[in-house]
Amino acid sequence: MRREEARAYAEEHGLEVREAHDLLHIVLPLPELKTHMAAFKAMGFNYLADVIGIDYRDYPEAAGWHPPERFAVVYELVSLPGFADGDGSRIYPRVYVPERKPELETVSDLWPSANFPEREVYDLYGLVFKGHPDLRRILMPEDFEGHPLRKDFPLGETPTLFNEGRYIDPESFRAGLRGKEKGLTGWRGGRRKGERR
Amino acid sequence: MIPEPKELRTEEMLLNMGPQHPSTHGVLRLVVRLAGEEVLDVVPHIGYLHTGFEKTMENRTFHQNLTYTPRMDYLHSFAHDLAYALSVEKLLGAEVPERAQVIRVMLNELSRIASHLIFVASGLLDLGALTPYFYAFRERETILDLFEWATGQRFHHNYIRIGGLKEDLPEEFPAELKKFLDTFDHRVDDYQGLFVGSPIFEGRARGVGVIGPEEAIAHGLTGGSLRASGVNYDVRKAYPYSGYETYDFEVPLGERGDTWDRMVVRLEEMRQSARIVRQALERLEPGPIRDPNPHFSFPPKELLASSMEAVIYHFKLATEGFEVPPGEAYVPTESARGELGYYVVSDGGSLPYRVKVRTPSFFNLQALPGAARGHFFQDLVAILASFDPVLGDVDR
Repeated sequence: MRREEARAYAEEHGLEVREAHDLLHIVLPLPELKTHMAAFKAMGFNYLADVIGIDYRDYPEAAGWHPPERFAVVYELVSLPGFADGDGSRIYPRVYVPERKPELETVSDLWPSANFPEREVYDLYGLVFKGHPDLRRILMPEDFEGHPLRKDFPLGETPTLFNEGRYIDPESFRAGLRGKEKGLTGWRGGRRKGERR
Repeated sequence: MIPEPKELRTEEMLLNMGPQHPSTHGVLRLVVRLAGEEVLDVVPHIGYLHTGFEKTMENRTFHQNLTYTPRMDYLHSFAHDLAYALSVEKLLGAEVPERAQVIRVMLNELSRIASHLIFVASGLLDLGALTPYFYAFRERETILDLFEWATGQRFHHNYIRIGGLKEDLPEEFPAELKKFLDTFDHRVDDYQGLFVGSPIFEGRARGVGVIGPEEAIAHGLTGGSLRASGVNYDVRKAYPYSGYETYDFEVPLGERGDTWDRMVVRLEEMRQSARIVRQALERLEPGPIRDPNPHFSFPPKELLASSMEAVIYHFKLATEGFEVPPGEAYVPTESARGELGYYVVSDGGSLPYRVKVRTPSFFNLQALPGAARGHFFQDLVAILASFDPVLGDVDR
């Protein structure tokens, strides 16, 4: 299986490997992104299914693991079954991109299908893909300011008002749901009595 | 007297097509560079239907998000519900009971048939064939009526819950569905007779917009458009989910990867989907339709009248949702347009930290310029239709 091959490759090169919920995550160092991705392509991962941007700014320490940088870009590589000798392996290499210099190499020359999704990540997160043939905004209007999927992009909500000046502030209401502080009922999302799990 | 010109020269022209144009299947805008009638280049501009679902979903609970999922691909909406639920269920470790799995597969395939019917109807309409539109909508109307009966909605079913289904099927539903299936295969034969083999259709579709397998894979095509190029990739076979591995069906393949193949492959897919629905109907045994885990499943409605505990659970689940263990999950599924999956990141709270939707139409659109180059402008409309894009699916 190419999945095992990729895991062996990652261990050989001292890359961090994590496996959770059937996904094989491989953390690539930012400067060597292109060389490792080219190696995966040569290994037979002929299909790039997705490029996923994640902003880890608000990711809580309590989740047991914390990313080293603010942004992450996750690639989804498939050895496409049904074509040539594809065996259906899927790997999820990722790079962490620092906030102060949000730049990384494009992979759209290796897999042309990365063209649109990289533009999407650029549009919604403001990460610049160096060497991309056509890096323009794709979903938002051309004259739009800011990158809406960043966690610090304002939502533009209004608080719900009640009698005597009481109000529900959406931000603190959601903070309660996230378990960071007491919400409306004080429940922190823990296990309840009688739960079978 | 005006002297005869030595050569006839055609100036290059930039033509804007859309975003309000009936043949763009929504609000797609194409900027086409033309030399006379010949297409030199196509640049798709998308985002006119971008509503920021992914951002909105980060600020709603896992359950509330089921309202947004079907609104992306409004033609095969059941697939979006299913894909989202599968990813969250993976993070939760939920066990979906057998009956719920069977009903999910059954309705998913029914929804796929409805989507393909629209594809065939509107695709042929773009080629100037008006008749199939009315025939296909007759069958689609029956399917939508069945959906309305079972789920309460025609389009945005909202029938799936994390860990199972909203409620059980109506008692007489299987019998009515069987009635529909009895006639459906003949109806597909009718559609086939309406256009396959017609010299006009042959002329407009054969050899038009050819995409080879290598090019299709490089540009990220999936679904029927990829299988028309001869690549045997169907997520239902390659990464089975919801018990698809136990159903007996075939994956129709094309040979040349032209518009003709892309149209006819989907016609055959409808027959296969009907086959799966028939098998699912036979397996329909009485049983529970939801994971009984009170952590994320709503208590049964009849308990609400007698048990205070059930009311409390119901209130907690409805207002604050449930906690999902931290982690990242992705489950690929097969929608009518190709590989569809939700990459869900949870931070341990009751709102997803990040939801990324891998929508097939978005990726399929990348192959359009390559397929349309060198063809006539009229064929561009046919090629676009043969990719079956849904702009809600593209822009999200």
